[in-house]
Amino acid sequence: MIEVRQLTKRYVGRTAVDAISFRVEKGEIVGFLGPNGAGKTTTMRMLTGYLPPTAGTASIGGFDIFKDSLKTRAMIGYMPEDVPLYHDMRVKEYLNFRARLKGLRGRDARMAVGEAMDKCGVTEVRKKMIRSLSKGFRQRVGLADALVAKPALLILDEPTNGLDPNQIRQVRELIRELGENHTILLSTHILSEVEMTCGRVIIINRGKLCAADKPDKLVDQMRTAGLVEMEIKANPKVAEGVLEKIPAVKRVAHNGTDDEGWERFSLRVEANADARVQIHAAVVREGWPLRELHRRMASLEDVFVEITQSEQ
Amino acid sequence: MSSSKSPNPSNNDPVRVFTVLFGKEIKAFFLSPIAYVVLALVMVINGFSFKAAMTILETAPGDGGLVRFTFNAPWFWLSYFFIFPLVTMRLFAEEQKLGTLEALLTAPVRTGQLVAAKYLAALVFYCILWLPSLANFYIFQWITAGAGDIRPGELLGSYSILFLMGMFNLSIGCFSSSLSSNQIIAAILGFTLSLMHFLLGTFALDLAQNVDQSLKNIVQYFASAYHSRMFAAGVLDSRPAIYYATATALILFVTHQVVEFRRWRT
Repeated sequence: MIEVRQLTKRYVGRTAVDAISFRVEKGEIVGFLGPNGAGKTTTMRMLTGYLPPTAGTASIGGFDIFKDSLKTRAMIGYMPEDVPLYHDMRVKEYLNFRARLKGLRGRDARMAVGEAMDKCGVTEVRKKMIRSLSKGFRQRVGLADALVAKPALLILDEPTNGLDPNQIRQVRELIRELGENHTILLSTHILSEVEMTCGRVIIINRGKLCAADKPDKLVDQMRTAGLVEMEIKANPKVAEGVLEKIPAVKRVAHNGTDDEGWERFSLRVEANADARVQIHAAVVREGWPLRELHRRMASLEDVFVEITQSEQ
Repeated sequence: MSSSKSPNPSNNDPVRVFTVLFGKEIKAFFLSPIAYVVLALVMVINGFSFKAAMTILETAPGDGGLVRFTFNAPWFWLSYFFIFPLVTMRLFAEEQKLGTLEALLTAPVRTGQLVAAKYLAALVFYCILWLPSLANFYIFQWITAGAGDIRPGELLGSYSILFLMGMFNLSIGCFSSSLSSNQIIAAILGFTLSLMHFLLGTFALDLAQNVDQSLKNIVQYFASAYHSRMFAAGVLDSRPAIYYATATALILFVTHQVVEFRRWRT
Protein backbone atom coordinates (compact mmCIF):
# COMPACT_ATOMS: atom_id res chain seq x y z
CA MET A 1 0.00 0.00 0.00
CA ILE A 2 2.69 2.45 1.01
CA GLU A 3 6.25 2.14 -0.13
CA VAL A 4 8.73 4.73 1.07
CA ARG A 5 12.27 4.79 -0.31
CA GLN A 6 14.98 7.05 1.09
CA LEU A 7 12.45 9.79 1.69
CA THR A 8 14.19 13.00 2.76
CA LYS A 9 13.01 16.49 3.65
CA ARG A 10 15.58 19.19 4.21
CA TYR A 11 14.87 22.73 5.31
CA VAL A 12 17.49 25.43 5.40
CA GLY A 13 19.99 24.29 8.00
CA ARG A 14 17.92 21.36 9.21
CA THR A 15 17.04 17.90 8.04
CA ALA A 16 13.55 17.06 9.21
CA VAL A 17 13.36 13.62 7.64
CA ASP A 18 16.54 11.82 6.78
CA ALA A 19 16.40 9.08 4.15
CA ILE A 20 13.79 6.88 5.73
CA SER A 21 12.46 3.78 4.01
CA PHE A 22 9.60 1.55 5.04
CA ARG A 23 6.65 -0.35 3.68
CA VAL A 24 3.10 -0.65 4.85
CA GLU A 25 1.19 -3.62 3.51
CA LYS A 26 -2.49 -3.57 2.65
CA GLY A 27 -4.69 -4.08 5.69
CA GLU A 28 -2.02 -3.26 8.27
CA ILE A 29 -2.42 -0.84 11.14
CA VAL A 30 0.96 0.77 11.60
CA GLY A 31 1.91 3.04 14.46
CA PHE A 32 4.32 5.80 13.68
CA LEU A 33 6.22 6.73 16.82
CA GLY A 34 8.76 9.31 17.73
CA PRO A 35 9.40 12.14 20.14
CA ASN A 36 7.97 15.57 19.30
CA GLY A 37 9.84 17.05 16.37
CA ALA A 38 11.10 13.68 15.16
CA GLY A 39 9.66 14.20 11.68
CA LYS A 40 6.38 12.29 11.92
CA THR A 41 4.17 15.11 10.70
CA THR A 42 6.61 16.05 7.95
CA THR A 43 6.64 12.46 6.71
CA MET A 44 2.86 12.33 6.72
CA ARG A 45 2.63 15.65 4.92
CA MET A 46 4.90 14.31 2.22
CA LEU A 47 2.83 11.15 1.86
CA THR A 48 -0.36 13.17 1.52
CA GLY A 49 1.16 15.43 -1.12
CA TYR A 50 1.16 18.59 0.99
CA LEU A 51 4.94 18.84 1.03
CA PRO A 52 7.26 17.66 -1.70
CA PRO A 53 10.21 15.49 -0.66
CA THR A 54 13.69 16.94 -1.06
CA ALA A 55 14.95 13.55 -2.13
CA GLY A 56 13.74 9.98 -2.32
CA THR A 57 10.39 8.67 -3.45
CA ALA A 58 7.25 7.18 -2.06
CA SER A 59 4.35 5.49 -3.69
CA ILE A 60 0.84 4.77 -2.56
CA GLY A 61 -1.06 1.95 -4.21
CA GLY A 62 1.62 1.89 -6.88
CA PHE A 63 1.31 5.58 -7.77
CA ASP A 64 4.08 8.06 -7.09
CA ILE A 65 3.09 10.63 -4.48
CA PHE A 66 4.66 13.44 -6.45
CA LYS A 67 3.98 12.60 -10.08
CA ASP A 68 0.48 11.20 -9.56
CA SER A 69 -0.38 13.38 -6.62
CA LEU A 70 -4.07 13.70 -7.44
CA LYS A 71 -4.48 9.94 -7.80
CA THR A 72 -2.73 9.16 -4.54
CA ARG A 73 -4.60 11.91 -2.71
CA ALA A 74 -7.87 10.38 -3.89
CA MET A 75 -6.85 7.15 -2.16
CA ILE A 76 -5.99 8.74 1.16
CA GLY A 77 -8.17 9.90 4.01
CA TYR A 78 -5.96 12.26 5.94
CA MET A 79 -6.52 13.76 9.35
CA PRO A 80 -3.94 16.50 9.88
CA GLU A 81 -2.49 17.30 13.28
CA ASP A 82 -4.77 19.52 15.39
CA VAL A 83 -7.66 18.85 13.01
CA PRO A 84 -8.14 22.06 11.04
CA LEU A 85 -11.86 22.78 10.48
CA TYR A 86 -13.94 25.74 9.34
CA HIS A 87 -15.35 27.24 12.52
CA ASP A 88 -18.40 28.78 10.95
CA MET A 89 -19.76 25.69 9.28
CA ARG A 90 -22.10 23.13 10.72
CA VAL A 91 -20.84 19.60 11.18
CA LYS A 92 -23.03 18.02 8.53
CA GLU A 93 -22.49 20.91 6.14
CA TYR A 94 -18.73 20.56 6.52
CA LEU A 95 -18.73 16.82 5.97
CA ASN A 96 -21.00 17.26 2.99
CA PHE A 97 -18.59 19.78 1.50
CA ARG A 98 -15.65 17.45 2.09
CA ALA A 99 -17.47 14.45 0.63
CA ARG A 100 -18.36 16.35 -2.53
CA LEU A 101 -14.84 17.73 -2.77
CA LYS A 102 -13.59 14.15 -2.71
CA GLY A 103 -15.82 13.29 -5.65
CA LEU A 104 -19.01 11.92 -4.12
CA ARG A 105 -22.27 13.33 -5.41
CA GLY A 106 -25.88 13.75 -4.44
CA ARG A 107 -27.33 10.71 -2.73
CA ASP A 108 -23.96 8.93 -2.48
CA ALA A 109 -22.52 11.91 -0.67
CA ARG A 110 -25.45 12.15 1.73
CA MET A 111 -25.29 8.46 2.53
CA ALA A 112 -21.52 8.49 3.00
CA VAL A 113 -21.80 11.49 5.32
CA GLY A 114 -24.52 9.78 7.34
CA GLU A 115 -22.44 6.63 7.64
CA ALA A 116 -19.29 8.47 8.63
CA MET A 117 -21.18 10.51 11.22
CA ASP A 118 -22.65 7.36 12.71
CA LYS A 119 -19.31 5.61 12.84
CA CYS A 120 -17.60 8.51 14.55
CA GLY A 121 -20.49 9.33 16.85
CA VAL A 122 -21.09 12.88 15.68
CA THR A 123 -24.67 12.40 14.45
CA GLU A 124 -26.04 14.08 17.59
CA VAL A 125 -24.06 17.26 16.89
CA ARG A 126 -24.59 17.34 13.13
CA LYS A 127 -26.46 20.65 13.22
CA LYS A 128 -24.03 22.38 15.57
CA MET A 129 -21.52 24.98 14.53
CA ILE A 130 -18.03 23.56 14.58
CA ARG A 131 -16.79 26.52 16.66
CA SER A 132 -19.05 25.42 19.51
CA LEU A 133 -17.81 21.82 19.58
CA SER A 134 -15.54 20.41 22.26
CA LYS A 135 -12.08 19.17 21.35
CA GLY A 136 -13.28 15.56 21.44
CA PHE A 137 -16.05 16.18 18.96
CA ARG A 138 -13.80 18.18 16.66
CA GLN A 139 -11.38 15.29 16.65
CA ARG A 140 -14.18 12.97 15.67
CA VAL A 141 -15.40 15.32 12.95
CA GLY A 142 -11.85 15.24 11.58
CA LEU A 143 -11.91 11.48 11.66
CA ALA A 144 -15.30 11.40 9.94
CA ASP A 145 -13.85 13.66 7.25
CA ALA A 146 -10.88 11.33 6.78
CA LEU A 147 -13.05 8.28 6.20
CA VAL A 148 -16.05 9.82 4.46
CA ALA A 149 -14.99 8.89 0.94
CA LYS A 150 -14.08 5.35 2.06
CA PRO A 151 -10.41 5.69 1.18
CA ALA A 152 -8.21 2.62 0.99
CA LEU A 153 -5.65 4.25 3.24
CA LEU A 154 -6.13 6.34 6.36
CA ILE A 155 -3.31 8.59 7.54
CA LEU A 156 -4.03 9.95 10.98
CA ASP A 157 -1.72 12.44 12.64
CA GLU A 158 -2.14 12.09 16.41
CA PRO A 159 -5.80 11.11 16.35
CA THR A 160 -6.09 11.02 20.14
CA ASN A 161 -4.17 14.19 20.86
CA GLY A 162 -5.90 16.24 23.54
CA LEU A 163 -8.67 13.80 24.30
CA ASP A 164 -9.68 12.58 27.75
CA PRO A 165 -9.19 8.90 28.67
CA ASN A 166 -12.75 7.92 27.79
CA GLN A 167 -12.55 9.59 24.41
CA ILE A 168 -9.16 8.02 23.78
CA ARG A 169 -10.68 4.64 24.41
CA GLN A 170 -13.55 5.36 22.02
CA VAL A 171 -11.23 6.56 19.28
CA ARG A 172 -8.98 3.55 19.81
CA GLU A 173 -11.97 1.22 19.43
CA LEU A 174 -12.97 3.06 16.29
CA ILE A 175 -9.50 2.77 14.81
CA ARG A 176 -9.38 -0.94 15.52
CA GLU A 177 -12.77 -1.31 13.86
CA LEU A 178 -11.66 0.71 10.85
CA GLY A 179 -8.56 -1.45 10.61
CA GLU A 180 -10.75 -4.30 9.45
CA ASN A 181 -11.17 -2.79 6.02
CA HIS A 182 -8.66 0.03 5.81
CA THR A 183 -4.92 0.30 5.85
CA ILE A 184 -4.00 2.72 8.61
CA LEU A 185 -0.88 4.71 9.35
CA LEU A 186 -1.24 6.64 12.58
CA SER A 187 1.20 8.73 14.52
CA THR A 188 1.11 9.19 18.23
CA HIS A 189 3.29 9.43 21.25
CA ILE A 190 0.94 7.55 23.50
CA LEU A 191 2.56 4.15 23.63
CA SER A 192 -0.16 2.15 25.27
CA GLU A 193 -2.32 3.15 22.34
CA VAL A 194 0.11 1.64 19.88
CA GLU A 195 0.48 -1.57 21.86
CA MET A 196 -3.26 -2.00 21.81
CA THR A 197 -4.10 -1.07 18.24
CA CYS A 198 -1.13 -1.43 15.95
CA GLY A 199 0.14 -4.56 14.30
CA ARG A 200 3.46 -2.95 13.60
CA VAL A 201 5.47 -0.02 14.86
CA ILE A 202 7.84 2.33 13.12
CA ILE A 203 9.97 4.44 15.42
CA ILE A 204 11.75 7.50 14.12
CA ASN A 205 13.98 9.92 15.96
CA ARG A 206 15.56 13.11 14.64
CA GLY A 207 14.37 12.26 11.17
CA LYS A 208 15.99 8.84 11.12
CA LEU A 209 14.29 5.48 11.16
CA CYS A 210 15.27 3.65 14.35
CA ALA A 211 13.17 0.53 14.40
CA ALA A 212 10.33 -1.09 12.53
CA ASP A 213 8.78 -4.26 13.85
CA LYS A 214 5.85 -5.78 15.71
CA PRO A 215 5.46 -4.21 19.15
CA ASP A 216 5.95 -7.49 21.00
CA LYS A 217 9.09 -8.30 19.01
CA LEU A 218 10.58 -4.95 19.89
CA VAL A 219 9.77 -5.61 23.52
CA ASP A 220 11.32 -9.08 23.30
CA GLN A 221 14.57 -7.70 21.99
CA MET A 222 14.55 -5.33 24.88
CA ARG A 223 13.78 -8.02 27.40
CA THR A 224 16.76 -10.12 26.44
CA ALA A 225 18.93 -7.15 27.17
CA GLY A 226 17.17 -6.97 30.50
CA LEU A 227 16.77 -4.67 33.39
CA VAL A 228 17.06 -5.72 37.04
CA GLU A 229 15.84 -3.63 39.93
CA MET A 230 16.90 -4.05 43.53
CA GLU A 231 16.69 -2.46 46.94
CA ILE A 232 19.45 -2.89 49.50
CA LYS A 233 20.86 -1.13 52.54
CA ALA A 234 24.44 -0.15 51.85
CA ASN A 235 26.64 2.78 51.14
CA PRO A 236 25.60 3.67 47.59
CA LYS A 237 29.16 4.48 46.42
CA VAL A 238 30.56 1.21 47.72
CA ALA A 239 27.60 -0.77 46.42
CA GLU A 240 27.97 0.73 42.96
CA GLY A 241 31.61 -0.33 42.88
CA VAL A 242 30.82 -3.87 43.94
CA LEU A 243 27.89 -4.29 41.59
CA GLU A 244 29.81 -2.99 38.59
CA LYS A 245 32.40 -5.73 39.09
CA ILE A 246 29.81 -8.46 38.49
CA PRO A 247 30.55 -9.75 34.97
CA ALA A 248 26.94 -9.87 33.75
CA VAL A 249 26.16 -6.31 34.85
CA LYS A 250 26.65 -3.69 32.16
CA ARG A 251 25.51 -0.54 33.84
CA VAL A 252 24.50 0.48 37.35
CA ALA A 253 22.19 3.35 38.14
CA HIS A 254 21.44 4.55 41.63
CA ASN A 255 17.82 5.65 41.80
CA GLY A 256 17.80 7.29 45.20
CA THR A 257 17.08 6.45 48.80
CA ASP A 258 13.69 6.01 50.37
CA ASP A 259 12.59 7.26 53.80
CA GLU A 260 13.69 4.13 55.59
CA GLY A 261 17.18 4.19 54.11
CA TRP A 262 16.75 1.60 51.38
CA GLU A 263 18.88 2.29 48.35
CA ARG A 264 17.26 1.65 45.00
CA PHE A 265 19.35 0.48 42.07
CA SER A 266 18.52 -0.46 38.55
CA LEU A 267 21.00 -2.55 36.63
CA ARG A 268 21.22 -3.11 32.94
CA VAL A 269 22.44 -6.63 32.49
CA GLU A 270 23.84 -8.76 29.72
CA ALA A 271 21.52 -10.54 27.35
CA ASN A 272 21.03 -14.30 27.65
CA ALA A 273 22.32 -14.44 31.21
CA ASP A 274 20.28 -14.31 34.34
CA ALA A 275 22.36 -11.96 36.41
CA ARG A 276 20.09 -12.15 39.43
CA VAL A 277 21.91 -15.16 40.93
CA GLN A 278 25.27 -13.42 40.64
CA ILE A 279 23.88 -10.20 42.08
CA HIS A 280 22.38 -12.09 44.99
CA ALA A 281 25.66 -13.86 45.67
CA ALA A 282 27.49 -10.52 45.75
CA VAL A 283 24.93 -9.00 48.12
CA VAL A 284 25.23 -12.02 50.49
CA ARG A 285 29.01 -11.84 50.35
CA GLU A 286 28.92 -8.16 51.38
CA GLY A 287 26.30 -8.85 54.04
CA TRP A 288 23.90 -6.14 52.84
CA PRO A 289 20.25 -6.43 53.79
CA LEU A 290 18.29 -7.16 50.60
CA ARG A 291 14.60 -6.37 50.29
CA GLU A 292 13.89 -6.64 46.61
CA LEU A 293 15.47 -8.14 43.54
CA HIS A 294 13.44 -8.53 40.39
CA ARG A 295 13.66 -8.42 36.65
CA ARG A 296 11.63 -5.70 35.13
CA MET A 297 9.40 -6.68 32.24
CA ALA A 298 10.20 -4.28 29.45
CA SER A 299 7.34 -2.36 27.95
CA LEU A 300 7.09 -0.59 24.64
CA GLU A 301 7.79 2.53 26.61
CA ASP A 302 11.21 1.16 27.59
CA VAL A 303 11.92 0.36 23.98
CA PHE A 304 10.89 3.83 22.96
CA VAL A 305 13.00 5.54 25.60
CA GLU A 306 15.97 3.27 24.96
CA ILE A 307 15.90 3.79 21.21
CA THR A 308 15.21 7.48 21.12
CA GLN A 309 17.55 8.44 23.94
CA SER A 310 20.52 6.26 23.12
CA GLU A 311 20.82 8.09 19.82
CA GLN A 312 21.09 11.50 21.34
CA MET B 1 -4.44 -0.99 -4.69
CA SER B 2 -6.97 -0.65 -7.46
CA SER B 3 -8.47 2.79 -7.63
CA SER B 4 -11.64 1.24 -9.01
CA LYS B 5 -12.46 0.13 -5.50
CA SER B 6 -12.79 3.69 -4.34
CA PRO B 7 -16.37 4.92 -4.73
CA ASN B 8 -15.40 8.13 -6.41
CA PRO B 9 -14.51 7.54 -10.04
CA SER B 10 -15.46 11.12 -10.88
CA ASN B 11 -12.54 12.54 -8.93
CA ASN B 12 -10.83 13.90 -11.95
CA ASP B 13 -13.71 16.07 -13.05
CA PRO B 14 -12.03 19.45 -12.64
CA VAL B 15 -15.18 21.50 -13.20
CA ARG B 16 -17.01 19.71 -10.41
CA VAL B 17 -14.25 20.27 -7.88
CA PHE B 18 -14.27 23.91 -8.90
CA THR B 19 -18.05 24.13 -8.48
CA VAL B 20 -17.92 22.62 -5.00
CA LEU B 21 -15.20 25.05 -3.93
CA PHE B 22 -16.93 27.99 -5.57
CA GLY B 23 -20.19 27.18 -3.82
CA LYS B 24 -18.46 27.04 -0.48
CA GLU B 25 -16.77 30.40 -1.05
CA ILE B 26 -19.96 32.15 -2.14
CA LYS B 27 -21.74 30.77 0.90
CA ALA B 28 -18.91 31.93 3.13
CA PHE B 29 -19.32 35.46 1.78
CA PHE B 30 -22.96 35.69 2.64
CA LEU B 31 -22.56 34.06 6.02
CA SER B 32 -19.83 36.41 7.16
CA PRO B 33 -20.73 39.70 8.84
CA ILE B 34 -18.03 41.48 6.85
CA ALA B 35 -20.06 40.99 3.69
CA TYR B 36 -22.90 43.06 5.09
CA VAL B 37 -20.55 45.72 6.41
CA VAL B 38 -19.07 46.06 2.93
CA LEU B 39 -22.51 46.12 1.34
CA ALA B 40 -23.60 48.86 3.73
CA LEU B 41 -20.37 50.77 3.08
CA VAL B 42 -20.86 50.65 -0.66
CA MET B 43 -24.46 51.79 -0.34
CA VAL B 44 -23.44 54.72 1.84
CA ILE B 45 -20.71 55.75 -0.61
CA ASN B 46 -23.17 55.58 -3.43
CA GLY B 47 -25.68 57.61 -1.54
CA PHE B 48 -23.21 60.38 -0.88
CA SER B 49 -21.80 60.30 -4.40
CA PHE B 50 -25.29 60.41 -5.79
CA LYS B 51 -26.17 63.39 -3.67
CA ALA B 52 -22.93 65.13 -4.64
CA ALA B 53 -23.74 64.53 -8.30
CA MET B 54 -27.20 66.00 -7.89
CA THR B 55 -25.75 69.08 -6.21
CA ILE B 56 -23.33 69.57 -9.08
CA LEU B 57 -26.09 69.25 -11.64
CA GLU B 58 -28.23 71.68 -9.69
CA THR B 59 -25.63 74.39 -9.17
CA ALA B 60 -23.33 74.08 -12.13
CA PRO B 61 -24.74 71.88 -14.83
CA GLY B 62 -22.00 71.16 -17.30
CA ASP B 63 -20.96 68.56 -19.73
CA GLY B 64 -22.30 65.22 -18.56
CA GLY B 65 -25.19 63.50 -16.84
CA LEU B 66 -26.01 62.15 -13.43
CA VAL B 67 -24.15 58.84 -13.76
CA ARG B 68 -20.94 60.49 -14.81
CA PHE B 69 -20.91 62.89 -11.89
CA THR B 70 -21.83 60.17 -9.45
CA PHE B 71 -18.82 58.04 -10.28
CA ASN B 72 -16.45 60.96 -10.50
CA ALA B 73 -17.41 62.38 -7.10
CA PRO B 74 -14.52 62.65 -4.64
CA TRP B 75 -16.68 60.76 -2.17
CA PHE B 76 -16.55 57.85 -4.44
CA TRP B 77 -12.80 57.62 -4.86
CA LEU B 78 -12.24 58.26 -1.19
CA SER B 79 -13.83 55.01 -0.22
CA TYR B 80 -13.64 52.86 -3.32
CA PHE B 81 -10.32 51.25 -2.43
CA PHE B 82 -11.54 50.11 0.97
CA ILE B 83 -13.82 47.62 -0.70
CA PHE B 84 -11.12 45.30 -2.03
CA PRO B 85 -9.20 44.47 1.13
CA LEU B 86 -12.47 43.90 2.97
CA VAL B 87 -13.68 41.49 0.32
CA THR B 88 -10.43 39.60 -0.25
CA MET B 89 -8.38 39.67 2.96
CA ARG B 90 -10.06 36.54 4.29
CA LEU B 91 -9.61 34.34 1.23
CA PHE B 92 -6.25 32.67 1.77
CA ALA B 93 -5.13 34.21 5.06
CA GLU B 94 -7.91 32.56 7.01
CA GLU B 95 -7.27 29.14 5.47
CA GLN B 96 -3.64 29.43 6.38
CA LYS B 97 -4.36 30.50 9.92
CA LEU B 98 -6.89 27.73 10.53
CA GLY B 99 -4.70 25.16 8.79
CA THR B 100 -7.59 24.24 6.51
CA LEU B 101 -5.38 24.87 3.50
CA GLU B 102 -3.66 21.60 4.37
CA ALA B 103 -7.00 19.81 4.47
CA LEU B 104 -7.97 21.32 1.10
CA LEU B 105 -4.73 20.61 -0.69
CA THR B 106 -4.43 17.05 0.55
CA ALA B 107 -7.84 16.31 -0.94
CA PRO B 108 -7.81 15.73 -4.71
CA VAL B 109 -7.88 19.48 -5.40
CA ARG B 110 -5.56 21.40 -7.70
CA THR B 111 -4.18 24.71 -6.52
CA GLY B 112 -5.48 26.32 -9.70
CA GLN B 113 -9.04 25.23 -8.93
CA LEU B 114 -8.75 26.71 -5.47
CA VAL B 115 -7.40 30.05 -6.68
CA ALA B 116 -10.02 30.27 -9.44
CA ALA B 117 -12.88 29.40 -7.08
CA LYS B 118 -11.85 31.96 -4.49
CA TYR B 119 -11.21 34.70 -7.02
CA LEU B 120 -14.43 34.21 -8.96
CA ALA B 121 -16.49 34.05 -5.78
CA ALA B 122 -14.98 37.40 -4.76
CA LEU B 123 -15.74 38.81 -8.22
CA VAL B 124 -19.36 37.67 -8.10
CA PHE B 125 -19.77 39.17 -4.65
CA TYR B 126 -18.21 42.41 -5.88
CA CYS B 127 -20.66 42.60 -8.76
CA ILE B 128 -23.57 42.08 -6.39
CA LEU B 129 -22.29 45.01 -4.31
CA TRP B 130 -23.10 47.40 -7.16
CA LEU B 131 -26.65 46.31 -7.80
CA PRO B 132 -28.18 48.68 -5.21
CA SER B 133 -26.40 51.63 -6.85
CA LEU B 134 -28.08 50.76 -10.09
CA ALA B 135 -31.38 50.95 -8.24
CA ASN B 136 -30.50 54.52 -7.20
CA PHE B 137 -30.58 55.66 -10.80
CA TYR B 138 -33.75 53.84 -11.69
CA ILE B 139 -35.59 55.04 -8.62
CA PHE B 140 -34.49 58.57 -9.44
CA GLN B 141 -35.71 58.15 -12.96
CA TRP B 142 -39.00 56.83 -11.69
CA ILE B 143 -39.54 59.62 -9.14
CA THR B 144 -38.74 62.34 -11.64
CA ALA B 145 -40.94 60.64 -14.20
CA GLY B 146 -38.09 60.29 -16.67
CA ALA B 147 -36.85 63.85 -16.33
CA GLY B 148 -33.56 62.71 -14.78
CA ASP B 149 -30.55 62.99 -16.98
CA ILE B 150 -29.53 59.34 -17.18
CA ARG B 151 -27.53 58.58 -20.30
CA PRO B 152 -27.26 54.92 -21.31
CA GLY B 153 -23.71 55.39 -22.60
CA GLU B 154 -22.53 56.75 -19.29
CA LEU B 155 -24.32 53.99 -17.44
CA LEU B 156 -22.77 51.25 -19.54
CA GLY B 157 -19.32 52.87 -19.43
CA SER B 158 -19.38 53.46 -15.69
CA TYR B 159 -20.38 49.94 -14.81
CA SER B 160 -17.92 48.50 -17.33
CA ILE B 161 -15.02 50.35 -15.76
CA LEU B 162 -16.22 49.44 -12.27
CA PHE B 163 -16.14 45.82 -13.35
CA LEU B 164 -12.74 46.06 -15.01
CA MET B 165 -11.07 47.93 -12.16
CA GLY B 166 -12.75 45.63 -9.66
CA MET B 167 -11.48 42.58 -11.49
CA PHE B 168 -7.96 43.94 -11.33
CA ASN B 169 -8.01 45.14 -7.73
CA LEU B 170 -9.61 41.94 -6.49
CA SER B 171 -6.75 39.97 -7.96
CA ILE B 172 -4.36 42.23 -6.03
CA GLY B 173 -6.38 41.49 -2.90
CA CYS B 174 -6.24 37.76 -3.58
CA PHE B 175 -2.51 37.94 -4.06
CA SER B 176 -2.02 39.88 -0.81
CA SER B 177 -4.13 37.40 1.09
CA SER B 178 -2.03 34.51 -0.19
CA LEU B 179 1.11 36.15 1.21
CA SER B 180 0.09 36.24 4.84
CA SER B 181 -1.79 34.22 7.40
CA ASN B 182 -2.78 37.45 9.08
CA GLN B 183 -5.89 39.06 7.62
CA ILE B 184 -4.98 42.56 8.79
CA ILE B 185 -1.59 42.40 7.10
CA ALA B 186 -3.21 41.03 3.97
CA ALA B 187 -5.75 43.88 4.00
CA ILE B 188 -3.16 46.62 4.50
CA LEU B 189 -0.90 45.18 1.82
CA GLY B 190 -3.76 44.86 -0.66
CA PHE B 191 -5.00 48.36 0.08
CA THR B 192 -1.53 49.83 -0.37
CA LEU B 193 -0.89 48.06 -3.65
CA SER B 194 -4.28 49.00 -5.10
CA LEU B 195 -3.98 52.61 -4.04
CA MET B 196 -0.40 52.83 -5.27
CA HIS B 197 -1.43 51.64 -8.69
CA PHE B 198 -4.21 54.19 -8.79
CA LEU B 199 -2.20 57.14 -7.46
CA LEU B 200 0.87 56.43 -9.59
CA GLY B 201 -1.39 56.50 -12.61
CA THR B 202 -2.95 59.76 -11.47
CA PHE B 203 0.38 61.48 -10.77
CA ALA B 204 1.91 60.22 -13.98
CA LEU B 205 -1.09 61.58 -15.82
CA ASP B 206 -0.53 65.01 -14.29
CA LEU B 207 3.17 64.98 -15.04
CA ALA B 208 2.71 63.73 -18.59
CA GLN B 209 0.21 66.51 -19.24
CA ASN B 210 3.00 68.94 -20.07
CA VAL B 211 5.29 66.54 -21.88
CA ASP B 212 4.93 65.11 -25.35
CA GLN B 213 2.03 63.08 -26.67
CA SER B 214 3.78 59.69 -26.91
CA LEU B 215 4.54 59.64 -23.18
CA LYS B 216 0.97 60.65 -22.45
CA ASN B 217 -0.28 57.71 -24.49
CA ILE B 218 1.79 55.30 -22.44
CA VAL B 219 0.61 56.73 -19.15
CA GLN B 220 -2.98 56.65 -20.29
CA TYR B 221 -2.61 52.97 -20.91
CA PHE B 222 -2.37 52.16 -17.21
CA ALA B 223 -3.85 55.22 -15.45
CA SER B 224 -7.06 54.12 -13.78
CA ALA B 225 -8.12 57.71 -13.17
CA TYR B 226 -8.03 58.34 -16.90
CA HIS B 227 -9.89 55.14 -17.71
CA SER B 228 -12.65 55.88 -15.26
CA ARG B 229 -13.04 59.41 -16.55
CA MET B 230 -13.30 58.22 -20.13
CA PHE B 231 -15.62 55.31 -19.44
CA ALA B 232 -17.89 57.38 -17.19
CA ALA B 233 -18.23 59.84 -20.08
CA GLY B 234 -19.47 56.94 -22.13
CA VAL B 235 -16.30 56.39 -24.14
CA LEU B 236 -15.77 52.64 -24.15
CA ASP B 237 -12.29 51.57 -25.12
CA SER B 238 -10.94 48.06 -25.57
CA ARG B 239 -7.38 48.93 -24.52
CA PRO B 240 -8.11 49.32 -20.81
CA ALA B 241 -10.20 46.14 -20.96
CA ILE B 242 -7.21 44.25 -22.34
CA TYR B 243 -4.90 45.93 -19.85
CA TYR B 244 -6.98 44.93 -16.83
CA ALA B 245 -7.68 41.42 -18.10
CA THR B 246 -4.00 40.63 -18.72
CA ALA B 247 -2.87 42.24 -15.47
CA THR B 248 -5.48 40.23 -13.58
CA ALA B 249 -4.40 37.00 -15.23
CA LEU B 250 -0.79 37.73 -14.41
CA ILE B 251 -1.48 38.52 -10.76
CA LEU B 252 -3.63 35.42 -10.36
CA PHE B 253 -0.88 33.34 -11.87
CA VAL B 254 1.55 34.76 -9.32
CA THR B 255 -1.00 34.05 -6.57
CA HIS B 256 -1.16 30.46 -7.75
CA GLN B 257 2.62 30.23 -7.57
CA VAL B 258 2.64 31.72 -4.07
CA VAL B 259 0.15 29.13 -2.81
CA GLU B 260 2.17 26.37 -4.46
CA PHE B 261 5.42 27.77 -3.14
CA ARG B 262 4.11 27.86 0.44
CA ARG B 263 3.27 24.22 -0.01
CA TRP B 264 6.79 23.65 -1.18
CA ARG B 265 8.43 24.92 1.94
CA THR B 266 6.26 25.32 5.06
